[in-house]
This record gives sequence, structure tokens and C-alpha cells, in this order.
Amino acid sequence: MSFHKSLLFILLFIIGYPAFSQEKAVFRGQVMDAGNLQGLVGTNVYWEGQVQQGTLTDVDGNFLLPAITLPAKIILSYLGYEKSTRTIQVRDLEKVQRFYLKAVDFSLEEVLIQEKRGDEQVKNLELGKSTLSMETLQSLPALFGEVDLLRSLQLLPGVKSAGEGTTGLFVRGGSSDQNLIQVDGAPVYNASHFFGIFSVFNPDGIKKVDLYKGNMPASFGSRASSLIDVILREGEKDRIQGEGGIGTISSRMTLQGPLLGDKHSFLISGRRTYADLFLKLSSNPDLNNNQLNFYDLNGKAAFTLTEKDKLSLSSYQGSDYLGLDGQFGLGWKNWVSAVNWNRVNSDSSFFDLQSYHSRYSYQVKFDNEENGFDWTNSLSESGIKASWTRVLSSTTTLVWGAHGQVYHFAPTYLKPSVNNPINRRQTQGVQGVLGNAFVGLTREFTDKLSGELGLRQGIYAQLGEGKVYKYNGNAPNPDQDPSDSLFYERSQLMQRYQGLEPRIAFRYLLRPEFSLKLAYNRNFQYVQIASNSSAGLPIDRWVLASQYIRPIQSDQVSLGLFHNFNENRWEFSVEGYYKNLQDVIDLRNGARILLSDEVETELLSGRGWAYGAEFLLRKNRGKTTGWLAYTWSRAWRQIDGISRDKPYNPRFDRPHDISLVLNHKFSSSWSAGLTFVYSTGQAVSFPVGSYVVDNQPVSLYSDFRNEDRFPDYHRLDATVTWENTDQGKKWKGSWNFGVYNIYGRKNPFSYDFRVLYNNELNFNPSDGKVFSTRPGVVMTYLFAFLPSLTYNFQF
Amino acid sequence: MKKNSIFLLLAIFFGACQEEVFLDLDQKKARIPVIEGHWTDQKAYNEVKISLSKNYFDSLDQELIRDADVFVKELSTGRKITFQYSTSTRSYRPNPSELAIEGETYQLNVSWKDQVFQSEGLMLKPPIVDSVVWNYEEERLFRKKGYYLKVYGKIPFPNNNYYRIRVIENDIPYNKPEDYLLFDDAFGLRVFEQGLELGYAFKKNARVRLELYRLNKDVFDYLSQLVGLLFNDGGLFSPPPQNPESNIRVVKGDTQVLGFFAVYPVLSRTITIPSN
Repeated sequence: MSFHKSLLFILLFIIGYPAFSQEKAVFRGQVMDAGNLQGLVGTNVYWEGQVQQGTLTDVDGNFLLPAITLPAKIILSYLGYEKSTRTIQVRDLEKVQRFYLKAVDFSLEEVLIQEKRGDEQVKNLELGKSTLSMETLQSLPALFGEVDLLRSLQLLPGVKSAGEGTTGLFVRGGSSDQNLIQVDGAPVYNASHFFGIFSVFNPDGIKKVDLYKGNMPASFGSRASSLIDVILREGEKDRIQGEGGIGTISSRMTLQGPLLGDKHSFLISGRRTYADLFLKLSSNPDLNNNQLNFYDLNGKAAFTLTEKDKLSLSSYQGSDYLGLDGQFGLGWKNWVSAVNWNRVNSDSSFFDLQSYHSRYSYQVKFDNEENGFDWTNSLSESGIKASWTRVLSSTTTLVWGAHGQVYHFAPTYLKPSVNNPINRRQTQGVQGVLGNAFVGLTREFTDKLSGELGLRQGIYAQLGEGKVYKYNGNAPNPDQDPSDSLFYERSQLMQRYQGLEPRIAFRYLLRPEFSLKLAYNRNFQYVQIASNSSAGLPIDRWVLASQYIRPIQSDQVSLGLFHNFNENRWEFSVEGYYKNLQDVIDLRNGARILLSDEVETELLSGRGWAYGAEFLLRKNRGKTTGWLAYTWSRAWRQIDGISRDKPYNPRFDRPHDISLVLNHKFSSSWSAGLTFVYSTGQAVSFPVGSYVVDNQPVSLYSDFRNEDRFPDYHRLDATVTWENTDQGKKWKGSWNFGVYNIYGRKNPFSYDFRVLYNNELNFNPSDGKVFSTRPGVVMTYLFAFLPSLTYNFQF
Repeated sequence: MKKNSIFLLLAIFFGACQEEVFLDLDQKKARIPVIEGHWTDQKAYNEVKISLSKNYFDSLDQELIRDADVFVKELSTGRKITFQYSTSTRSYRPNPSELAIEGETYQLNVSWKDQVFQSEGLMLKPPIVDSVVWNYEEERLFRKKGYYLKVYGKIPFPNNNYYRIRVIENDIPYNKPEDYLLFDDAFGLRVFEQGLELGYAFKKNARVRLELYRLNKDVFDYLSQLVGLLFNDGGLFSPPPQNPESNIRVVKGDTQVLGFFAVYPVLSRTITIPSN
């Protein structure tokens, strides 16, 4: 279907509803926390006696409610806050009204762990979406005591990790590069520190995170598997405040407050590790002259320009550095900035404009005159996105807009030192632009049936300047030199792709507390990582869609049952999905791509598919909160040239996955958290024999990939928190003691199949006489019983 | 040892531990022939080893195949060079007078039971090695203190630049995975003209023999993949382990084959680090 036909289809869909042409008066408001003046998301707003026709506030606390005959009483209710009732007059329709809700003292019976209306999961249209609030995140036991956003998401059904301790996410059978991780709308290309052990997000700077596992609104796209939408906190507007923490491996500090009066605010947050400071205390020269650290710095300034206009500037910068002996260094950096302008055009019309720039770079340097080098690379994405929201009626909302993206993958440079005789190397840079137009319509058809129809049309172009190699039979082959090459001038079109991405979702309310949802989603992805390791590396090579690399196409169908019970204290959901992936890539055996301009010769492409069922039982209120999640899922790939062209499971395929998360509040000062995770072991290849060639004992592997499994993975973590609840003190402190892997389970990180000399694990035959040799298996495991202590404070 | 600093650093930070485990491995029932053929311009190197794969935990010596028919065919002339099994070398050897000739393409033929295997290789022209010198160096990052060798020479070829250097000290070959010194022209070959330093710290009186082979690309790729596999620790940062892609094909028989057939010229130099 062409783009024009699609738009016509949308138009007809819209015109089919007479409500479209009716402009109704709308009451606009914003609900804020009276304590910190932050907008309250998910507040229930309705006219007295019309609770079913109510609405919810958005992330900034804004809401729109169709006006009724005035004066009338409006009611605002939010769990954990005092209910507010106010009489609204006709004149109040002229401008946005503010409401300040006061938090009630938490009773032990009513502890809130999520920012949403109690029955939201039943009533909304969302399938495969999870929201984690910072309260939830900070209550979870954490590795090294470091609250970690991405690792916490791994506790949700349908999300797998790469392996022990790592933050890479594999969502519903997708690879880790198929997740769009964005901060205030700007993408982050490498979201990890320390080779994936920590994610780049300082928890103090985050307001909330939404995870879309498939069913994305039409306004989002460009990744095949998921969207992780991180919203940074805004500063408070009443006074300067600070908070921070001193942890086992890092410390963090946040300052926030009013900016230029009480209409604007700022928040700045930083975090730095100090592992290298401890290394300097070591007497071992191999350690004390080395560096290993990372830091994060993020800030946000929010400006209320007028009653209708709000502007925010967000920025994140993070860096890692590993240095040896002052000579060798490996460092990588993210720098992400975003500007967001939100405007309320009229009672029923909103406009959002967003622009961003994201840059990722790395450097490997060896400082030596004879054989040193300096290896650098960077990539960036810039974008601008405009979206309009129109509330057509109390049951119909239309969103449309456009999103333009510019990719610039800079050349990789290898610069040898002065006396190093190797050639200087430089790959060619790659540029691409992606334009998207999107439109989405949400409508409540009846009291029971609601739906969302969205279309996103992307047009992608790879642009010069650049060279494209030609191969015999148009089949890139590492064993044959290119037969020819074509040079494209700057901005000249090199390759174009386009794709229509339909997004459809329906919800049918079987009973007030029981709903059935169905969704279909298509996504195209025009950038991906050319790698075949399971965990990402800082020097991974991103590639753009080109003449030889087609964009990934993902199609997902999902069906879910959602049920709340016991007055929304408990939520239960079952979601099933089937996802099809086309044009996924992998690498040939022994591929060398980091400094190659002929990457296509090293790539193999094929398809993938995944299916599964996700069960979630969640308790949101009470002394004890948490969830139990079980996922049964399978992931497959079929790529010519791998596993004899037969389907195989990628390493992250783990059919059974259980997460139990519990938090208990003993008193206003004492609380505890516990998590237990279990999953089937990773899919891997073990030797099926051995042989000797070139005097080397070599493991023999089956031609079929990943037919073996690591042992099942399981782990129990616990944390205890004591906080000073004396309201009179300006300085409030809390202590958090946690243990990761409390029963010391030795979950394998790797199995190394190697020859053992003299029955020792690490005996090197060049270091002494060899008495015996035999084949062995050496297991490496991480983090068996790892305690941590963190002191957090606020002032 | 500074070489291990990065690993030590990460191991300490991440609390990594290691222990030996015993896994119940699913073993391949059929034994797969492993063929390793060397056909060069030096008689001492020319041989074909044929063995069988075995179970992973089997610590017995490899099972040799002694009754195969082995010959190398010179494709331009059709001349057959037969190889006979030698119990002393435990490999198949040709008549010592038979050597590979530059510019010829040779085909290895191995018949065993009802299986036939073939592979081809081109005998390339050798590069030029001018000299090998030594120099004492103090301890550097990734380098111990000691005597380091530099090889000077010239590689005047526009293509087929795939090389391997082997190091033998006091008649003992360096044979660990990190001892595979493989290089091509990806970073240019000026390094060979300006002196290619070998990463070994030798001591006084060491007698060192250097051997330089010019390989065909398929053999270079095989050895590169072999090194990758030997360094594959099965962890998240390693690619899925795969057998190196053999340049030997099965012509007859329902089996796999492992190994490689290499045709290459050999250049060698021997030097002794003086005692003063």
C-alpha cells in the first residue's frame, strides 16, 4: 500500500466518526504534588457522579476533560494523596487550572509502588508495556548496591539478560541492538558502563521509565524490538534541595531547585566510580598504576514560558576509561542532549516539538613511539520531531506528526605513532537520513471496546559521499576482490528504502476488572550492530542500511488478558506474542569488520522469529508489594551459512524464566526487599569431541549452533533499608545493606574447554616442567555472595 | 606481568572465580578424519598427517590413520607425487627429492576406506628476507625486558600477501595459541621493510630459528579461525565457537573432514644471541 493510500485510509477512518467535526469545550488542568510541585502522572480526574467518563493526567500532570454544564464539581483522586474536590465555573475554562494534591501519611496498609491508576492495566490499550517508577527501582536489591535501571527491567516478563551481571536486554527474542533506549526522546547508542556491568543511567536523575515490548504508539519507531523511554526528573521549584549516596563502588550527588524565580527549575546529577582510587592502595604495580572508572553527569532545566508553553533542556554525558600503566587506554563516551517544547494550543489541541543530538565515541590508544597507535571512532544521530495531539471528543484522540533523523557514522581512524611502520587506516564515513510521518487515532467505540489505529511511514536514504563496491553476481564474498566500485558525491542518493508500519491495538472490557487486548505492530530498523558476541563491546561496529544491508523488518502480534482484583490491589496478566524478524544479520566465521570498508563481505543475513507467553501477578498496595513473573518463550534464527542453514537458538533463548520481587515495609523506618530469579541456561555450543591439528589440541564443535545449555540460572538477592523518618530534620539519611546472590550460587559466566597442565587450572607450560596434560573444563563465575552497603541522604 | 593487567583488573573488580567442572558432553559418535598437509619447497616440511577426532575427555593419544592412499598432483602436468606412511614421523612423506615448484598448483588427494578427499593450493613466490637483528630492550607495557628480534625484508607483491612466522628457540617450537604470528597487508607491509619486531624476550645464548611462510588465503583464513577458536573462552564476549573452515573437500563418502592443505614457500634464518 502506498503512503498516499495509507493516509487516505486513515482519513476515511477518521471521517467515519461524526464526532470529528464537533468542537466541544474542554476543561484543562494540571495536577501537582503539593510537596515537591512535580506533576502527578495518572491522577484520576472526573466530574462528580461521572466517574466512568473521567480521564488521567499525563506525565506532567496535565489533563483535559470535556466540559459539562457548569458550575460543577470536579474530583481528583490519586492513591496516596488526599482526594480533592473543587467547584468549576464557566470562567475557569479560559485557562489552565492548577490543583495541588497533598500526600497522605503512608499507612502500613497502603504503600504505593507505581505511578498509575489502580485499574489502568485493565482499562488502557497497552499491550507489552511496563512502567517502572523510581520508587520501585530503588526498592530492589542491586549488584554492588548500585540501583540499575536496565538490570531492573530484566525482572519483567519477556526481558532477558545477556548473562550474569550484565545490563544488555533481549526483548521478546530480539537482539540487544533492537532496543531503542532514549533519554527525554534522544537515543543512547551504548547504554552501558564497564563492559555492560552497569547501565549509564544515574537513578537519581530519572523520573520514570516505560518499556514497550512491541506495541509501540505510531509516534515511536526505528527499532525492531522495544522502546525504553527514560524520562529525566525536573527540579523542584520551591527551594534548593540535594540528595546523594555513598556506595561500595561509586558515589552520586544531585542538586535541584528553582531557576530564575519560581517558574523554572534545574536538576543536575552526577555519579562517579572510585575503583581506581582503591587500586592505587595496592602494592601490586600491575594494579596501582592502572585506571578503571566511569562517570555520569545529567541535567535538566525546565522553563514555564507562559501558561501554554513549557520548554525543557536535557543533557546526559557519560564516560568510561580503562587505563594501563599510563600507556594504554580504552575509553568511550556518550553525549546526549534534547530540547523539548510542549505547547497547549487550545482546549483540545497540543503541540510537542523535540530536537536532539546523540553522539557516541570511543578511543583505543597505545602510547608508544615504536608501535603505538590511536584508534578512534564516533557516530551520531540528530533528530527533530513534531507531534500534534487533538482531542476530537471525549472518546477520540488524534495524534500526528513527523520525525526526521540524520545519522552520521564517522570514519574509523587508526593513526600509528611516529615510528610505527604500519599504514594509517581510515574507513569511509556513512551518512543516512530517515524521515517518518505518523498518525494515530485512539477511540473508545463503546463502553467496552476501544481501539488504536496508527500508521508510520518511513523513508530512508543512504547518502554520499561514499564508495560502493560491486561484486560478481552481486554477491559480496570475502574470498573475491570487488569487481568494481562506484563513487557517490556528497549528499548523492546511494540507496533508498521505505516502509509502512501499521500499529493496531484493541481492548475489549469483558468485565470492569477484566479485559482482552489484541495488537499488531510492524517496525523497521535502519541501523544495527554487526557483531556475533552476545554482550556488547564499546568498539562494536554499527552499520546503516545500504545496498547490501537491508533494514530489519519486525512484525509482532500479541494477545493479552488483564485482570485486577481485590480493589485493584492485585493485577494479573497473561500476554502471548509471535514476532517475525526479516533481514537480521550475523557474521561469517572469522569476520574482520572493525576497519573494513567491505563490511558486506563479512555479513550473513536471514530471518528470525520468537514466540512466548508472559504471566505477571503483581501486588501494588499493602505492607508487602512486588510481583511474580513467569515467561515461557522461544527465540530462533535461520541464516544461510550458519548451522548448516537450519534454524538455531540464539544464546539468549531461555524457555523458562521466573522473577519474584518482594518488598516489605516493617515500619516507617525499616523495609526490606528480596528478588529471586530463575531461568533456563543459555543456549551454547559445547564440544562434541576433540582433535589435533598443527600440534594444537582443538575442540570439535557440531555444525549446528547452540544445541547445548548452561545449567539453569538462579539467584536470590536481598536488601534491608533503614531510613531516618524524623520530619523535623533537614538532613535525612538512610542506610541500605544488600547481598547479591545470597546463597552463593555459582552461575557460570563461561566454560572454557582447554588442556590442563599438571592438574592446575592456570599452569602455563612455559613457566615450568609439565608432568601431565589432560583435557578439562574450567568454569568462570561471577558475584557469588556479594554484600554491599550504601548510605543515601537528602537535604 | 603487565600483559595480564587488564584481566587481573577486571577479575578483581568483578569478583571472578574459576574452578574445574565436569560436564556430561554429548559426544559425536562418528570419528572425523583430520588431514594436515604441508607441501613446500623444503623437504623437511613436506608431509601429510591423517588422524581421527576423538571424544573430548579422551586423554589417549590421537588415533592415526596409517593405511590411506595419499598423493599430490601437479595440475599443470598431471604428475603424481605419492606419499608413503613413515612410522618414524607418524605421517605420510614423499620422496625427499620431490619439492613444490613456484607457480604450480598442487592438488592433494587422500583416499581412505570408501572416502576420498581433495584440496588445492598454489605455490607462491617467496618474499625477501634481508636480515634478522637483535636488540636489548628494557621492560615496556606488554613486553618483558630482554633481547628482541627484528626481521627486515621486502614483500614486493601486490596481492596474495598472507604470511606466518614461526619461532623455534633451541629446537623447541613456540606452539601456544599466542605464538601464531599471522599477518597480511591490511596494515601495509612497510613494517616488514622497516623491521618487524617479534614479541619475544630472548635471553643471552638463545639460538633462535625464524621461519617465514607465504600462504594461500584459504590457509591463512583457516589458521586465523583456528587461533580465534583457541582463544574462545565461551564467554559473552566471544563469538559462538565454530570449527575452522577447512580447504579440504569430501569428494566421496558420507563424512566430514577437518584440517587443511597448505602449499607454501619457506624462508628461514637462524641466529644466536651472543653472551656479551
